[in-house]
Amino acid sequence: MKLYDWVLSPDCYKARLLAALTGQSLTTVATDVFPGKDHLTPAFRDMNPRATLPVLVAGDLVLTEVPAILIYLGGDWGGDNATERARQAEWLTFSQRLAGTLGLARRIDMMDAPGDLAQAQRDGTRLLRQLEARLFDRQTLGHAFLTGPAPTLADIACFPDVMLAPDGGVSLAPYAAIRAWSRAIRSLPGFIEMPGIPRLHELSPEPGA
Amino acid sequence: MKDCWFPVGAADDIPSAPGRETLLMGEPIRLFRKAGQIQACDAEGRDLPVTVAYDHVWTSLGTPSQPIFAIPEAEEPGRRFVPCGHVRVACSPLRAVENFLDIAHFPFVHTDILGAEPHTEVYRYEVKIREEEDEVWATKVRFYQPQAAKAAEGGQEIEYMYRVPLPTASVLYKTCPSKPEAWDVIAIFVQPLTETTCVAWPWMALYDDTSSQADLVGFQQMIFLQDRAILENQVPALLPLDPGKEIPTRADMTSIAYRRWLKSHDYTYGAQLEAQ
Amino acid sequence: MTDTPRTPSQGTPPQWTPVALSRDLAPATAIPVIAEGTELALWRGRSGRLAAWHDRCPHRGMRLSQGFVRDDMLSCLYHGWRYDLEGQCRKIPAHPELEPNKAICVPAWSVTEATGIIWVSETGSGAPPDTGALAPLRSLTVERSEDALRDHLGDGVVIEFDGLHLLLQGLPQGRCVLHALTGPGLDAAGQRAASHRLEALRTRFEDSEDIA
Repeated sequence: MKLYDWVLSPDCYKARLLAALTGQSLTTVATDVFPGKDHLTPAFRDMNPRATLPVLVAGDLVLTEVPAILIYLGGDWGGDNATERARQAEWLTFSQRLAGTLGLARRIDMMDAPGDLAQAQRDGTRLLRQLEARLFDRQTLGHAFLTGPAPTLADIACFPDVMLAPDGGVSLAPYAAIRAWSRAIRSLPGFIEMPGIPRLHELSPEPGA
Repeated sequence: MKDCWFPVGAADDIPSAPGRETLLMGEPIRLFRKAGQIQACDAEGRDLPVTVAYDHVWTSLGTPSQPIFAIPEAEEPGRRFVPCGHVRVACSPLRAVENFLDIAHFPFVHTDILGAEPHTEVYRYEVKIREEEDEVWATKVRFYQPQAAKAAEGGQEIEYMYRVPLPTASVLYKTCPSKPEAWDVIAIFVQPLTETTCVAWPWMALYDDTSSQADLVGFQQMIFLQDRAILENQVPALLPLDPGKEIPTRADMTSIAYRRWLKSHDYTYGAQLEAQ
Repeated sequence: MTDTPRTPSQGTPPQWTPVALSRDLAPATAIPVIAEGTELALWRGRSGRLAAWHDRCPHRGMRLSQGFVRDDMLSCLYHGWRYDLEGQCRKIPAHPELEPNKAICVPAWSVTEATGIIWVSETGSGAPPDTGALAPLRSLTVERSEDALRDHLGDGVVIEFDGLHLLLQGLPQGRCVLHALTGPGLDAAGQRAASHRLEALRTRFEDSEDIA
């Protein structure tokens, strides 16, 4: 499987993270979105007319939308019955809203993307509050993850844009349940990091101790 | 400091007049291309000096007394130039440069790439102000790195040299993985938007025939974004020049020299002064 | 229920500020909190012991609340400088053999934990208020100032409102944390219902034109 990838993209990271957590190997093709605008070349547009990253190519299958890529890579993580799949679909949609608000704030604040920063931050904050409330509800049931006792596509889809909220000037300090959820995800075997989402150094031993 | 050169744009990305607005030291300025030439002016329309070097446009609100600093290695045949785009950071431009001069953070911020525990030791190195060029130089800097560059395979001890030719620009030279007798050149050019916000323009001149441009840009963007998460969490956002405000160690000799050099030249835009 | 009169904003600040619920600070974690306008790094060692410090590494000013905890030591995320629970620097990874200078230490506040609530105080005098048998539920931030909320909710350390018991922690820039407690013995469904009431309360406060 080949993933057209950009190191600063939370959407690309979702695919890499899910593949890492489920033990699948991806061949990544670095794409210079910025400043190179590789995604606007005719060759790239021929593969993905919307000119977005990531793109997953598996044989004849070409996937260009993040939820589809996650469903394809997710296997068992995607749920084994209609109820569970539908629950996850709710959060896959929610994650697209996160990308359009918190993710947008990050692109504006960091890389001068066009848009209304204050509005993106306000809209993103509203979503963080919804996520926090949901995760508190889950805590009362003894669960750390969004839809089940174990992580699912729902968690992986929402995690990156939430964690990168500070890059767009939105603090995560008010959200205790989100913090606990983030630790649970970052503690998973096989977890990989991206710039702005560091690993938990506390999981490594202190040298010389 | 306003007589210094500052980077304000990528040379291949300046639109025709009326061009693009940006900020330099709190002043709105405009960059545009006219009759094939890149020009700059301030808010009143006054022309500003312009020079194009290392794929970037440099200007000044004052009158630079010297041409832009030279990077002789960049003239060597066979080098690839890699402009890495720009990233805005909410920190003092001087903090951004100081972080670039620092190696002790590699194991914690660039884990398993530029450093890794337990290889955290910073060995003694040499720092001086080269009076003739009026630049800060650190030499014989050595550090163990798991993956020093995109083309590097496996861990190795890397040697570095650092120089600060301008208050908001720094160039480092490091062991080139594919050509051990040469140095890779990596620079950071920092545009001071205000005293507490800046834009970083990473730039490289490498010997690397194998990596794609996208791989090289991606590697450097990854490194810089890891730094950004630190830079936006330093308190205060300004760089303290009072030696009593922050506690350095021997590993920080470059930073100590940089702060002294800034102070001796009154390069204090983005600095916290002793009186504050 | 404690019912101390509110200190006027120009008077002495409160001695103890509630900054987090115990359930939200797991062993070996650090979080940023704000008390009386001061940014603090609040952290818990693996043993469960607590510390609250100025949120600034003395080395290069990095926020210590971003750091990581191994055993009962907090390490700065920037250069890994390692501090014990007393705030004393014990290790500088750039110089592994060096015994750090005793002068390298982080200013600390007093911190104490009682009935599931973590309180901090700059002076440490006296004891924090007793919230008795009330059970901590969750904390949430309201985009309204403590003063504006108190004008609406009334004074007191623990304010009973809509079946919830609220501790207020004022933040800068017109924001305030509500630490919500409930009566003891609520089951999971009861806790969720209380949490939803708290959410509704926030919406009401933020939508109200009376609470500016």
